[in-house]
Formats: sequence, C-alpha cells, structure tokens
Amino acid sequence: MKIFRSVRFNIFLGLLIALGSAVGTFLPQIPDAPEKVSAYQFAHPEIYRALAVFGLFDLYHTWWFMGMLGLMAFDIVLCKLWNKPPDHGIIALPPELTREAEIERHLAQKEAALRLKPFRADLTTEMPAGEARNKARAFFEGAGFHLSHELAGQAGASFIATKHRAQRWGSYTAHIALVVILLGALIKGLWGFTEMVPVLEGRSRAVMSKPGWQVFVDKFTIKYYDGTYEPKSYSSVLRVENGSTVLGEKTIGVNDPLDIGGVRFYQASWGAGGMFRSVTLKIGEHFLQLPQRTPGKIEGTPFTVAADMLLPSFRITNGQADSDGLDLKNPAVRFTFMLGAHKTSPLWLFENDPKMCMVEDADGNLSRAPVPPFQLADIDPVLFSGIQVAYDPGFKVVLTGSILWLLGMIGTFYLHRRRLWVVVEPSGQVSVGGWSSRGTEEFSKEFDALMHKLRARLDARDDFKISRNPLAEVAP
Amino acid sequence: MMELLLMKTATGLYALATALAVKYLFNRDERISLWMLRLLVAGLVLQAASFGVRLKDFWAIPENRWFMPINSFYGALSFLALAVAGVFAVVEGRNRLGILGAFVIPWALVCAAGAVGRAATMGGTEIHGLSPALQSYWINIHPMVLMTSYAAFANAFGVGAALLIQEHQIKSRKPTELCYRLPSIEELDTLNYKIIAFGFPVLTVGIIMGGIWAYNAWGRFWGWDQKETWALITAFFYAGFLHMRYVKGMRGRKAVYISMLGFASVVFTFIGVNYLSELHGYLSGRG
Repeated sequence: MKIFRSVRFNIFLGLLIALGSAVGTFLPQIPDAPEKVSAYQFAHPEIYRALAVFGLFDLYHTWWFMGMLGLMAFDIVLCKLWNKPPDHGIIALPPELTREAEIERHLAQKEAALRLKPFRADLTTEMPAGEARNKARAFFEGAGFHLSHELAGQAGASFIATKHRAQRWGSYTAHIALVVILLGALIKGLWGFTEMVPVLEGRSRAVMSKPGWQVFVDKFTIKYYDGTYEPKSYSSVLRVENGSTVLGEKTIGVNDPLDIGGVRFYQASWGAGGMFRSVTLKIGEHFLQLPQRTPGKIEGTPFTVAADMLLPSFRITNGQADSDGLDLKNPAVRFTFMLGAHKTSPLWLFENDPKMCMVEDADGNLSRAPVPPFQLADIDPVLFSGIQVAYDPGFKVVLTGSILWLLGMIGTFYLHRRRLWVVVEPSGQVSVGGWSSRGTEEFSKEFDALMHKLRARLDARDDFKISRNPLAEVAP
Repeated sequence: MMELLLMKTATGLYALATALAVKYLFNRDERISLWMLRLLVAGLVLQAASFGVRLKDFWAIPENRWFMPINSFYGALSFLALAVAGVFAVVEGRNRLGILGAFVIPWALVCAAGAVGRAATMGGTEIHGLSPALQSYWINIHPMVLMTSYAAFANAFGVGAALLIQEHQIKSRKPTELCYRLPSIEELDTLNYKIIAFGFPVLTVGIIMGGIWAYNAWGRFWGWDQKETWALITAFFYAGFLHMRYVKGMRGRKAVYISMLGFASVVFTFIGVNYLSELHGYLSGRG
C-alpha cells in the first residue's frame, strides 16, 4: 500500500498516463475516425498488427489505459485518507484528565513547539495575564483572524488565530474533485450512450439505443455566408415519438439541443447524401424541372431527359466520378438523354460551372465533353441532418466535480492561510509563533506589522523580539 | 488594413523593447530598462487599439456580434501576444525586476510577428464568419481563459530560463556581471512557482469550461480530441511540478526542467495540435 501513497510513484503514473494519451493523438482512433484507421491498416499492415495488439487504435478505452486512470483515482483517495490535514493545537497531545493539567502540559511543551514555527515573536507586558490574553484575543479578532483551540487557566493561556482557514481544504477538495469527475466518466461509460442518427429531411429514423424511439426531421434549414459554402447556421425541426406519443419537439440548432428526460438530441452535422427533390435544366430559353429518376420531355423535341444522381462535392478519382465529402462544395448531377429506346451516355453537369460537361462511358470512366447547349440551373437537394443522440447520466456528477475543482483551486492557490500560535504566561510573557501557506517571504512583512501592532496594544516592554526560523517545517 | 498597420507597429515596438531588454542584460543603465517598459506599454496600447479595430470589423458580420474574434490562427496569435505582454506588464509591475524583460518579451514578439506573418500568407487578418459551433458565449470565455494561462506559462518559462542562466553563472568559476544583475536563484524560483500557481488553476478551469461547452455543442464532456488530450498532458506536467515542489520540496534547476517540459507541451498544444485536430484546428479553418 505504501507505494500507492508515494508522490514519486503517482507522478510517474501521471507521466505514464500523459505518455499514453500523447500516443493516442498521433494515431487515428476508431471512435473518431474509423475510416482513417482502415486506411492506416491498408497502408501499413505490419505496423498496424503490432500496434493493434496493445489496442493503440482505441487507446482511451483499453483496459490498461482505463486501469491507469482507475489506479490514479484510487491513489488519490488513499493519499488523502491517509494524510488528514494536520490542524492540531500548539502541539498534538492526548487530552488530560483535568483542564488545568492540560494547559500546564501545553505550556511545558511551548518552547519545543514554537521552535518549529518559521516566525516567532516574544514580548513582555506589565498587564495581568488575563487582561493581556483578552487584549490579544480582541486584537487578532479585529484583524480578521478566527480564534480556536483556546485554553485558559491559572497556568496561563493559549489560542490559535487563523486567517483564510478554507485554504486548508483546498488541496483536498481539488483531489476529491478529480475522483468525482472520473466517477462521472465511469457512470457515463456504464449507463450512458452516444449515437449518430443521420435523418433525411422529411423522413424519420429509429434510435437504436432507445428502442421504440423515432426521430423525425420535419424540416432542415441551412444558411451560408455570402459567396461561400461555409455554413453560418443550420437547424432542424425535430420531433421525437415513441409509438404514437410525441416525446418532444423543438427546432434544434448547433449549441441548442432538445432534451427529453436527459436524452439529448444535438444538431451535430449535415450533408447531401445524393438525393434531390428536383433539378432544373436550362435548355435555350426553357426551364425543365426534373424530379429524381423521373424523365421529362424536352419541349419541341422528341427527346426526354432524366437525372438520377447527385454528387455534392464532385471530384474525379481514378478517372471516375466521386464525391469529396457531403458538403455542397461542387455539386454535379448526372443526366441521360433518351430518344425512344435509345439512350445517350450519361453526362455530368455542374451548378458552379455551366460550361463544364463530362461524359461517362459504360465502365464509368469520364472524359471532357464539348460545351453543351443546356445547363444545370438549380438543384433542390434532400439534405440529411446529422443528429447526435447522447445520454450522459454522469454529466451532473462531472459538473459537481468541476465546481469542486474550481473551489479547490481557489482554496489551494488563491487563498493565503496564516496561522498564529499565541501563548500568554502568568508572568506577562507573550509568545507568538507564525506560519503561512505561502512560505516565509510573502508573510514576512505582514507578520512584522502585526507584531508591532500587538506590541503597541499590549503596551509591551522594549525587549520585544521577532525572529525567523527558515529551517522550520513547511506544513503547519 | 488599419488593424494590420497598428499590429505591425506594435510588433515593431515589441522588437525594439526586446532589443533594449537584451541590452539591459549587459548594461546597467536604468534608462534602458525604463525605455524598454515604455516601448512595451506603447506596443500594448497599439495592439489593444488594433484589437479594437478588429472587433469593429469582426462584429460587422451579424453572426459574429458580441463574440471574440479568435476563430482564426491570426486572431489567436495576436490575442496571445497581447496576453503575454499584458501578463508580463503585471508581473514586472509587481516585482520590478527589470532584467526579466529579455526572457519574456521575446515571446510576445514571437506571437505578434507570427500573427503578422500569418496575415501576410493569408492576405489579410482572417476576419470571417463564425462557424455555427463557435457562435456561443463560451467562445468569449474558454479560449480566453486558456490563452491567459498560456501567457502565464510563457512568463514562467522566461523566469525559468533566467534561473538556469543564474545557476550556471554561480557555478562557473568566472561569473560575469550578469550574475549580479539577475535576481537570486531563490527569488527566481519563487517567482516561477508563483506564476505557475496562478496559471495552473486557470488552465484546468479553462479545460473544464471547454468540457461544458463540448457537452452543450456535441453531447460529450470529454472526447479525447487531440487538443483536449494535449491540454490535459500540459496540466499533468504542471501538476507534477506543483507536487514535486509542495510535497517533495523540489527547488531550482530540476523544478525548472519540469516546468519547461510543461511549456513545451503548451507550445505543442497551441501550434502542433493544429496539424492533428480537426475540431480544434485553426489551420483547418474550423476555428
């Protein structure tokens, strides 16, 4: 167990996690880009096989990576349970039978205890001990310190004055927060799900992770920045049904999902899948609107024409027509002209370049055709809306962990805990030991100023002395 | 073009401030230090003005209104230059060490010159409409918070470099005047720690904010995207530094090495990851 509490071991573990994480950023990962993993496998079959043994293509879900994260969480809990924040009095001693005996023993240990504090002040006052104690108490309370561990009796008095007490819990809160966040991730892993549901406009699709649930995209709208194919907004009129019950409906946009009892529907992506409601062909002065795969007669001629295929981002791969993606970057439509039973070879026309025409042979190979007497004037594509359905029952846990982390960070790094041990003896001797969470330097001036004020308040003699012990313990 | 002109002038001032800062290393003329600060502040003011012009142009696109213009590499670099110079002005203002300028201002200069170079390659200051995912109030918070931490780490790196030089000077048989000019190792060590103790919470809270944004936009808090992963790796390095210092009492050269590894990770997270991540890639144009 000792090794799991060792800081060095845990830093080493942290470095291993960092190293593992880094490896995953240089290799394609199955959950993000399965197609890139396949391409990698095709290009480097030997290396792929060797790396796949260690699960490096789905690294963040391998048993060894999850195991390291789990071990880190376990170690954090262990460390923090083991090392409770020390916050004893002047010196930690078991309680005595009587109060007076307890005070006496504390005072007897005073020298040994104060010697361990980085700051020390000693002063002597003519005041009676009781009055000196009261004035010192009032002084520290007035300076914003919280008083605790108060002991007072015939043998003398002592108390502890603390500022920014919450700092003590900062590191605990932050470490516990990490465990809470990991717990939230575990809850998601066990009971949550994420599913991509592409739905064509006007159609519906079942959600595999929620049997019976059907997602309808009644309308999909996309707007582009002028003169570009960069979308400025896209949204879906969404309806979710279970049988005949409507579970929820909303127009969702990016950053604005629909939430049905924790199952959230996100507008994640969009695209043109190759279907269209109609295309418009301009022939001379005439316009001919053609639904997909429905031939139309060209006015004043014996010809009919049909459009069967749309490629949203046309490109040529190995001499054949292909699409670079699902964005409408370079839309092209394939037409076939017919005269009775005779057909021409298919022709590709382009919306962005009316003078361009390509002809496709029986094997699908393309060649440039002369400028045709007709152009592709308009396309009304059926777009699909990429709906990400996600259920994350751990999110609130993660959020709680995040808030705890924020509080922990503020506590650890932005609060400055100061602790003063004050001992008043019946002789009028007042000793103060000081400690600061930010080390000696930061607190130095403040301690000096406080002690000078205390001296004035207690009307102390000139033998007032402030000393430093740079070798004193760092922790309180 | 006013934006770029102001930015170029600010970059020129940063370059002059850097030159004076280096000169001040070897010449104990306080006027040099004073002019270094004046030029730096003048550069900061001009860059802030440039940023103001950028905001005006950026907000002319209705979808961008009230969002910060950092959806491009130029925007991010110029903001980072502003943050590095700004954080240094605060550190310098509080500590009055003067000599550290030579180690920190160059970072502001590198970022500013990088932005000017980027504008030259792209033919402008990359003002374009925000993609729908970035049209969220989180763009005003998440990247800003993270870049503030990057700026802090750049400052810490400069302080760390000064510490290494100082230690080398002290150990060498013939310490030069630089040895007497640089602050003590203890002072530099504390300053390095203080800056990191400021930057680390800011970094981690920035990462968490990104998680909350990702949950609202994509339905997951954490997705092991390259940028997310490298930001986490950076946090691991600095957490290692803080633990070694707090718990093991590590000081000086070794501690600086760990914090410098952290900074190397910052640089990779900010620039290198652009070539790996599509979601977070400034260079892929997705912002």
